[in-house]
Amino acid sequence: MLCIRSVALALRATLLTSLVFGCGAAGAQSGKPQYGGTLEVGTVFVTLSALSWDPQDWNWKTNHDAGMFFEQLFAADLDKSVRKGGKYRFVWDAWLPSDAIRGELAERWEWKNPLTLVVTLRKGVMFPDKPGVMKSRELTAEDVVFSYERLDQSPKKIPTWFDHVAKVEARDRYTVLFTFKEYNAEWDYRFGWGFYSAIVPKEMAGVDAKNWRNAAGSGPFQLADFVQGNSQSYVKNPNYWDTEKIGATAYKIPFVDKLVYRIIKDEATQHTALRTGKLDILESIRWSAVDQLKRSAPQLKWSRWLTTTGQFLVMRTDRKPFDDVRVRRALNMAVDKQEIVKSYYGGNAELFSYPMRPDWPGYYEPLEKMPASVKELFVYNPEKAKKLLAEAGYPNGFSFKAQFTTASPDHADLVPLVAGYLEKVGVKMELQPMEYGAFLSAMTTRTHGPGYFMPRGHTNPTAGMRSFVTGQTWNPAIWSDPAYDRKMDEVYLTRDEGKRQKMLKEMVVEILDQAPYVWLPTPYVYTAWWPWVQNYDGELRAGSVRPGPIYARIWVDQEMKKKMGF
Amino acid sequence: MSDIAAETLQPPYRNRGAAGDFLVRLFRGKPLGAAGAVVVLVFLVCGVFAEALAPYGFNAINPADRMQAPSAAHPLGTDNLGRDMLSRMLYGAQFSVIIGLSAAGLATVLSILIGVTTGYLGGRFDMLVQRMVDAWMTFPALVILIVVVSVVGPGVPQIIVVLALLYGIAGSRILRGNVVSIRENMYVHAAQSIGAGTQRILWRHILPNVMPAVIVLFTTRVGAVILAEASLSFLGLGVPPPAPTWGGLLSGSGRAYMHQGPWLALAPGLALTIVVFAINVFGDALRDLLDPRMRGSR
Amino acid sequence: MQAYIARRLLALVPTLFFASLIVFVSVRLIPGSVIDLMLSQNDIGTGNSRAAIEAALGLDRPVHEQYLRWAGAALQGDLGRSLWTSTPVTEQLAARLPVTLELGVLALAVGLIVALPIGVYSAIRQDTAGDYLARSFSILMLGIPSFWLGTLVMVFPSIWWGWSPEIDYVPLTRDPLKNLSQMILPAVILGTSLSAVTMRFTRTMMLEVLRQDYIRTAWAKGLGERLVVIRHALRNALIPVVTLIGLQAPILIGGAVIIEQIFVIPGMGLLLLEAVGQRDYPIITGVFLVVGLCVMLINLLVDLSYGMLDPKVRYR
Repeated sequence: MLCIRSVALALRATLLTSLVFGCGAAGAQSGKPQYGGTLEVGTVFVTLSALSWDPQDWNWKTNHDAGMFFEQLFAADLDKSVRKGGKYRFVWDAWLPSDAIRGELAERWEWKNPLTLVVTLRKGVMFPDKPGVMKSRELTAEDVVFSYERLDQSPKKIPTWFDHVAKVEARDRYTVLFTFKEYNAEWDYRFGWGFYSAIVPKEMAGVDAKNWRNAAGSGPFQLADFVQGNSQSYVKNPNYWDTEKIGATAYKIPFVDKLVYRIIKDEATQHTALRTGKLDILESIRWSAVDQLKRSAPQLKWSRWLTTTGQFLVMRTDRKPFDDVRVRRALNMAVDKQEIVKSYYGGNAELFSYPMRPDWPGYYEPLEKMPASVKELFVYNPEKAKKLLAEAGYPNGFSFKAQFTTASPDHADLVPLVAGYLEKVGVKMELQPMEYGAFLSAMTTRTHGPGYFMPRGHTNPTAGMRSFVTGQTWNPAIWSDPAYDRKMDEVYLTRDEGKRQKMLKEMVVEILDQAPYVWLPTPYVYTAWWPWVQNYDGELRAGSVRPGPIYARIWVDQEMKKKMGF
Repeated sequence: MSDIAAETLQPPYRNRGAAGDFLVRLFRGKPLGAAGAVVVLVFLVCGVFAEALAPYGFNAINPADRMQAPSAAHPLGTDNLGRDMLSRMLYGAQFSVIIGLSAAGLATVLSILIGVTTGYLGGRFDMLVQRMVDAWMTFPALVILIVVVSVVGPGVPQIIVVLALLYGIAGSRILRGNVVSIRENMYVHAAQSIGAGTQRILWRHILPNVMPAVIVLFTTRVGAVILAEASLSFLGLGVPPPAPTWGGLLSGSGRAYMHQGPWLALAPGLALTIVVFAINVFGDALRDLLDPRMRGSR
Repeated sequence: MQAYIARRLLALVPTLFFASLIVFVSVRLIPGSVIDLMLSQNDIGTGNSRAAIEAALGLDRPVHEQYLRWAGAALQGDLGRSLWTSTPVTEQLAARLPVTLELGVLALAVGLIVALPIGVYSAIRQDTAGDYLARSFSILMLGIPSFWLGTLVMVFPSIWWGWSPEIDYVPLTRDPLKNLSQMILPAVILGTSLSAVTMRFTRTMMLEVLRQDYIRTAWAKGLGERLVVIRHALRNALIPVVTLIGLQAPILIGGAVIIEQIFVIPGMGLLLLEAVGQRDYPIITGVFLVVGLCVMLINLLVDLSYGMLDPKVRYR
């Protein structure tokens, strides 16, 4: 067993070395891109199947699955990625820095006046032939207007999402006119590169749009097959309009013939599939599994990123005892967060990264620069915690019910850990495990709590802060501060990004101080891919959870793959 | 009158072994079964006296001590949160004892009740009950489990009741098949012809002849229930953390850290296999010994 | 006999619908309705679009009306559509059922091939080393949880030899080799754990039967061992074994969930698990209906086989 393995490894190492010397090029770019082949991906959401193929369902995940064929007005400018000499890694959940946005379907856009935006579309973007749905034709402004109105009239629409828009109309074949009632800083996020911005053809009105077989989009891939809970297969769109510049030449994309999303619910199976080359890319690998994979598949390439979903202990601030800020701060000080980073995550975590992430330049203020009152929430101090609790009227501590979900392996370990810390200051957590559906619905129906372990996405700077606005679905702390709500409204109205950043930073300090959550560290997560995956360096999203443009630019070095024995 | 008749018509099952006599026969005649009995005894002792035997609590979290290989201080090592594995395994035995014995016991009683009555009485009663059993058994066990677990919350009593119902009703079919065959035997017909009442026939003729199957059923059920909890834990429906059931240990930290800490999987995995093995082997031996028809054979 | 079969088939229909009614109602009782889950999908929301979604999904009608509508459609072969992706339920079932059936048949075959010979051998060579070995092996297999065996089988070959089972499902008819390279290992695992129980019961029943008078007569007549065993003993011992097969069928049809999860097999078990997690009521009810039908048919066959195997049993 051991013999075969070492021989195989030695062989591969020799071959790889000769390959590298033979090609003369090192690193991700090894010469002229090849066309063809299949790309098998275990995405960030490798355990989740598509929940909906119709943007009208207002489902957050549609961008991830349908974003391969439905395009948007704007997308990430992948030329600004680190591997191309830029400074961005494009691993954010749903954020794009203002200097890394390019027009996808939009060729250019300008503000005619503070409340009117004129968007000029690219010419020659074609919808494909789709029997039973449409004949191939060019995408026009009417499709953009149609897409917007279809979203606006959906029964599942988020009620306030388009409140800032007065009208969307087609001025001519390639020009769309947006008239706003008021400025909203999220305008390009809300209908541009965000979750709900897909441009669909007018012909969607006449067919069953929910049926994935009827999906027809202008994007680089088309949906070929959907086996629920198992795989999603996309084939190349031969008439795709975009090109990718590699070296001095502009190549038509996509390079690969076929793209497959594998849905694998079991973690051990995911790693096995990667190890044996059945997956070319696995985007989300827990830090504790990395060592083993590096040993058993040493040729894999790696990238590390801060996970975009953190876990927090939410405290219901509308009830005793958590309506008292001293109690909330006390619980924060009672948890040894440094030890969690060091021992529980083995160093693979960030102590302080919520609500603003370190990789949101301009929005993030590190802990050292925070006022003392915030800093002390991140220092383990059980004596001070007990003192605060006594001050608040709980000298002997208290007990409270804390809900978590049995579906999350994180919760299984993290929850008893936190419970252990709290018990040392006399606060007893009565753990109430819940099945995932029941767990989520407890939050939507506001029957959760008083303690609630919530997985929360670090979506983007404004969306993250929106969690604390009165009445939001994802505001399980039931935080309600009219002053805060007003500040949030003002942020939307502020055009100047610098000013917005300053305002948000103040709000961050305020909310951290108020501690509606027990702020917990956010772990790092790894992405791994085989060396034959070219023109790629671990980028994850080119929009809101939308990797389509990234996969369209990847080419598979099939010769290398064969030489390596796969 | 019927007593004398019943006495004369000795059904070929009469069994009079004394306890001492039994033990001798067990250890001499069925060494494997004896070994199984010893293991089962150890398992029961561990389960019942877990609190006294365990050096630490089962939830003594200590991140500084995480992922330590077996040593003098921690004979079975520590898990990813620094908890002592030996203690967690002992408490796990307690869970297995409680869940296994309760659920299997309840299930067996249920199986006997349903299987024997329907198998013997037959006719419309049989048909009606069997249709209900059919209807019940078409419920995928998963749906029932999720409904119960969601409505009442995950926990030990719910799991015991649901597993007992699932295995009990399903097992009744095996017993019924057995009874259907037995009731056609000569001695049953004879007893019926002399006017023995249904209750008497069930109690003295049918039941004892079904006993071998019942014993095997019970022993396999104990093992099956313990394993079922393990499978439930894998799907996230078992006894929730931080409860250290063996199934939960194996499917949770055992699988997640099987490369970094093989002891986390070896301990619960081996324990599960050995205990289930022992229970079944002991049950076999028991059945062989209690059935007088087997006594003489080699 | 004919009358019996006819009666049983007729009894199938009301049983199915009675049970389907129970499932229909009880899934809606699970805390966390599908509306709640859909609402929680959206990152933000201040107002309540609950009523609009309910109306769009037809869930605002009273339960009995929903059921009648569903039952009426079901009788015409329309089992509704998924609440999330709107794919017709019948389409999903038609795609998943053959996969599960294939896995089930393979597992059953493996189980019987392993169990029957070992069980018979153990019985006729009772208490010999061979008996102990065979019994020990099968009980050992009983004690290893399927998810653990599945994990070991999936992970370690990939580390030692760089090989793992196929994760891309293709139907047996399209590419038998690729299909089997995915299905064979899970089938063996599933079959081995089923075989353990079957083997022990075969042994037990064979032992019972071998003590019977008619067997003694056959020995006395001088019949060879093989004839006695196979023609006389095995037939009678098979009754509880056949029952056991009938009992195992629902497991194979409704939920080899763990195996499906580990080996990435798109079968009925995973479909059901996902549907329950997402509260996709039409799919849950549809899966249940199909599973129920299959199980009831299998049980009917099992009951009929009693008559074939045991001449004492007559159906009135």
